[in-house]
Amino acid sequence: MTDPLLQIVGLCKSFGALRATDDLSFDIERGHIHALIGPNGAGKTTVVNQLTGDLAPDAGAIRFKDRDITRLKPHQRARLGIARSYQITHIFENLTVAENMGLALCARAGHNFRFFRHWRRASLVKNDLDAALERVDLLPRADLTACHLSHGEKRQLEVGMTLVGQPELLILDEPMAGMGPGGTVELTRLIRRLKGQVTILLVEHDMDVVFSLADRVTVLVYGANIATGTPAEIRNNRDVREAYLGDNGDA
Amino acid sequence: MPSRKHLTLGGGLFLLLLLPPAATLAGEPYLISLASRMLIYGLAAASLDLLLGYGAMISLGHAAFVGVGAYVVGICHFHNFESQPLFAWPFLLPGSENGLVVLPAAVLVAALAAFVIGALSLRTTGMHFIMITLAFAQMLFYFFVSLEKYGGDDGLTMYARTKLPGLDLGDKTQFYYLCLAALVLFLFLAARLVHSRFGLIIRGAGNNDRRIRGLGVASSRYKLVTFVIAGGTAGLAGALLANQTEYVSPGLMHWTLSGELMVMVLLGGLGTLYGPVLGAVVFLLLEETLAMYTEHWMLYMGPFLVVSVIFFKNGLLGLLTGRKARDD
Repeated sequence: MTDPLLQIVGLCKSFGALRATDDLSFDIERGHIHALIGPNGAGKTTVVNQLTGDLAPDAGAIRFKDRDITRLKPHQRARLGIARSYQITHIFENLTVAENMGLALCARAGHNFRFFRHWRRASLVKNDLDAALERVDLLPRADLTACHLSHGEKRQLEVGMTLVGQPELLILDEPMAGMGPGGTVELTRLIRRLKGQVTILLVEHDMDVVFSLADRVTVLVYGANIATGTPAEIRNNRDVREAYLGDNGDA
Repeated sequence: MPSRKHLTLGGGLFLLLLLPPAATLAGEPYLISLASRMLIYGLAAASLDLLLGYGAMISLGHAAFVGVGAYVVGICHFHNFESQPLFAWPFLLPGSENGLVVLPAAVLVAALAAFVIGALSLRTTGMHFIMITLAFAQMLFYFFVSLEKYGGDDGLTMYARTKLPGLDLGDKTQFYYLCLAALVLFLFLAARLVHSRFGLIIRGAGNNDRRIRGLGVASSRYKLVTFVIAGGTAGLAGALLANQTEYVSPGLMHWTLSGELMVMVLLGGLGTLYGPVLGAVVFLLLEETLAMYTEHWMLYMGPFLVVSVIFFKNGLLGLLTGRKARDD
């Protein structure tokens, strides 16, 4: 019994002679955390860019909620419910954590030409602000200026602001990049808690994170899917061990 | 327990309310005029703070709107005095000295000028925005220099102050309280504004414009509205200033005045609204006292400004409230 939210069918993308995406196909099940792993230069970000619409594929199709979105523009895909959290955090450093989240909540409205009432008392914000902060564990930090947050907390805030748009598919592009061990633990806990609320495509380097979180894993080598399966299946897959896990496969 | 910020603001307002009777009692009624000027410059500087401190729109042409507001009053009075209509086509528009007409007109015309200048300037950012706002202000400056009918370079003398029912603006004390009322009303509305949904968008755009557009907010429209609000307020300051000096001249639009307003904002505290008022008070007070001793007062003012901007990063208001700018 499968219920794919996103289907990738025969996706190809070349840059000159380089086949960055090579006849790639896999499905992402609704409610799953699906990891996309691969060595450096395997073309993971190229895949993400094609999913968000920042890059047009040469061939193949992308289906989201049984609808062909291959030719849709990024903002159209965003409206359908595909959200992406970037490798580099983009938050409002000079505003407080609550104000950052408030902005994300306000951005859902068609316009914000409301000049008098405090933004926190606006009906658009009032009911959802605490829940939105709680979801990413930042409620106790609400009144702190965002520049004082740790690297990991900034990433949490960024993810929280992305979730405000109630996406159905959240693409996390190397969320652990540049983070210390403490931040990694925090963020892993956060992603685990998001499971069930939103389907996640996790593009990640850190194998411990991937194997502890993912329901399914797709391994990308030279732009091609060499294996897709549960973490246990991937761990025991001979091709994967040769191509990618290599040395630490025995550990 | 009121915070230090509330104590500072309350104390400041108390002193300002008491100033006219105190000055009269001390036999220094001249101080009331000086204080009126401080309030008017404070109003203009606080309106500029909406752009500089909240929206990160570094405008070096804010004096243009002060000048436009002043000229609206000056020209309306001129035509009223000469009994000559402002224009006869497509409809007859006579001059006026009625404050209920000329003060709103000053605000509206300045806001309209801000709309046109803002719509063009806000297509740029950073250094280009600074230069283009400066260029527009200088254009208006030279436009009024060349308007021979209204005195050109020499400016326009007003033979009477604006009339407001129940008030005599020729009376120092009444005029002072009118300026104070205008300033307090603006500060109240602006303080609400910066914490409203609109204000949140503006502060977000000032902090990280790319991110706010990434959230799907067309920030340029919000910036333009802020620019118009600030311009209209500067127009009101100009209208009051024209009455205070009973004289308007192109000098009101000169970039040096724009620069002085910017200094007042930085001196008092960027992004604090109240700080720039304090900045205006201190700036004019220094100018006044130093000018008593030497005509080269700028020689002493300059180092003071440099030192205060370096050492009081949160402005003079930050010194009083013990809080960082933007941290309210």
